[in-house]
Amino acid sequence: MSQFFTGLMRLKRGPWEMLATILIGLGVFMLMQPFFLWAYTYSFITTLIGTVMFIIVSHFKD
Amino acid sequence: MSSFSVTEPSNGQKWFAGILVVLYALITIMPLAWIMMTGFKTPPDSISYPPKVIFEPSLEGYVNLFTTRTRVGQEALDALPPPETWYEEIVRERDMVIAGPSKFGERFLNSVIIGFGSTFLSIVLGTLAAYAFSRFKIPLADDLLFFILSTRMMPPIAVAIPIFLMYRNLGLSDTHLGMILLYTAVNISLAVWLLKGFIDEIPREYEEAALIDGYTRFQAFYKVVLPQAATGIASTAIFCLIFSWNEYAFAVLLTSGTAQTAPPFIPTIIGVGGLDWPAVAAGATIFLLPVMVFTILLRKHLLRGITFGAVRK
Amino acid sequence: MSDTPLTKAAEATPPTVARKIRGLSDRAIAWIFVGPTIFLLLAINIFPLIWTINLSFTNYRANRTNRAVEYIGTRNYERILNDSDIWLSMQATAHFLIWTIIFQVLIGFTLAWLINRKFKGNDLWTTIIVLPMMLSPAVVGNFWTFLYQPQIGLFNYVIAFFTGADPSSFQMLGSVDLAPWSIVIVDTWMWTPFVMLICLAGLRSIPDYIYEAAEVDRASKLRQFFTITIPMVLPFLMLAVLFRGIENFKMFDLVVQLTGGGPGSTTEVASINLKREAFEKWRTGYASAFAIILFVTVFGLASIYVKALNKVKER
Repeated sequence: MSQFFTGLMRLKRGPWEMLATILIGLGVFMLMQPFFLWAYTYSFITTLIGTVMFIIVSHFKD
Repeated sequence: MSSFSVTEPSNGQKWFAGILVVLYALITIMPLAWIMMTGFKTPPDSISYPPKVIFEPSLEGYVNLFTTRTRVGQEALDALPPPETWYEEIVRERDMVIAGPSKFGERFLNSVIIGFGSTFLSIVLGTLAAYAFSRFKIPLADDLLFFILSTRMMPPIAVAIPIFLMYRNLGLSDTHLGMILLYTAVNISLAVWLLKGFIDEIPREYEEAALIDGYTRFQAFYKVVLPQAATGIASTAIFCLIFSWNEYAFAVLLTSGTAQTAPPFIPTIIGVGGLDWPAVAAGATIFLLPVMVFTILLRKHLLRGITFGAVRK
Repeated sequence: MSDTPLTKAAEATPPTVARKIRGLSDRAIAWIFVGPTIFLLLAINIFPLIWTINLSFTNYRANRTNRAVEYIGTRNYERILNDSDIWLSMQATAHFLIWTIIFQVLIGFTLAWLINRKFKGNDLWTTIIVLPMMLSPAVVGNFWTFLYQPQIGLFNYVIAFFTGADPSSFQMLGSVDLAPWSIVIVDTWMWTPFVMLICLAGLRSIPDYIYEAAEVDRASKLRQFFTITIPMVLPFLMLAVLFRGIENFKMFDLVVQLTGGGPGSTTEVASINLKREAFEKWRTGYASAFAIILFVTVFGLASIYVKALNKVKER
């Protein structure tokens, strides 16, 4: 776990991509879950942040 | 590998697996077989209960698919000269006369024109681009390739909104050219990705030898690389063709008459007095059969095609 | 490519000389080759996309072109993301998505595992199983409505035959409870072969020596299955799941032909809802915002998909 955070600090690609993937996954889940309207409302912004982050961090060095 | 290898399944296992797979295959093929059978039933046979497995084959569905008919009274029917052709005879038995050809032939032809047109374009453009991606250093190549792939993943309805407006302004709605360009844009991503895989597999040494022999890049490309990539290009072409052949969302939203393809047309086949299932089934059979034949031809490359060339075997 | 002797020689040659010898430089050829593709995609994908983004901030209606268009900021997005109808259509999509993936993975993997037992004639049967996948979803949906007919339909008849129920006592497409399952059944029938093919590729990519080594270590077959087979196939399975997820998230043709979104709006998946907004209610600005939401979601999933693709490629 601490390796994950040092990876984030040093702008390594792997952990950042993981973070972006989690955000996108969370956004998609929020979009389609039947439980909370507020989660649905904020789903798009979550996916958007995740996607933009993914595009940026995929240019980081391994 | 010796025949006593631990990874070789036992005979019992093979039988068990074989039986289950065959069972699944038979279940999966049943709906298709049923629809093909229905095409050869008469309308009353097609809606009988219990469903008829044994029936007298008839071409009525096919006749109804290709013609439009009108119902006439008994006196008018008696006054007509005897039917000259077998299909007129079939129609007469239902107290109807043939009014003219249906639109199915036209729609089918549209599918062929648009399918082949867009396949040809995507293959030409795709081969060039794939060659460049495979052999040259292109700045941001990975991003470009991802961008090309991502265009294929777009929800068609979302893309259709601006395309609809754009085509309306340019006068491309309901034209063959408009549909060909649109399908080319969708297919080109698949063509580039698949063909890049195929061209990557051709050793560079062949071209380099040709270049040393005094060929230009262009000559090396079409005299050395193209012949080597022929099977790859052919299977990519079939994938593109199948896609344009099957496409429905764009076709139903952007075409209504002159350029309408078969998929949006087949569900609208309605007979005189109730849904004419044999005619629908006949249309579906004629439409699906070429794809089935192509699938069988393609079976070695199927996996490649559906994973954009990522999984080779 | 930079380390082949020829390119080194080409780099060493002054560009003007090279051009005389070879006609065009490699860089020029690269752009000539890639150019048309990029241009076409810019014209038919990117330009419309930018237009959609622009429209999504307006109250434009495509059927009233002479009405003044007003920019209304992000109001379209706010309304969609608080609209309970669209939320419901997202849930209908989720139901379709989750169950098709569960069924297709279970059946697809089992089939792949069975076919990998290498029994005689497995190629032929694989080809037959694969057939539905390549067919036109709209035409398939259309003829399944025939199979789903109560009384006369083959599906109802077969179910009735095995359960003893009356074949006209249930309507797969007409009842609120069964309609969501009827689309899951057809999609599973159609796309299980896809998952099967990818799993089969995964299974075939596992080298025999790994199992042989496990056998030497006296690992049980069950243990081999969970410690070798499953982990080795997992990247392939991920690929299949992501791809089916993306495809079914934007599902349109099959469902529109089968149920048209009905009965009521029980099977109104996102794309059908979007089509209603855009091409029946003609709320173009609103629909554009909806389209962008779907677009960003698919784009996000697609980037994960490409990452998964590259992982599989390394194998």
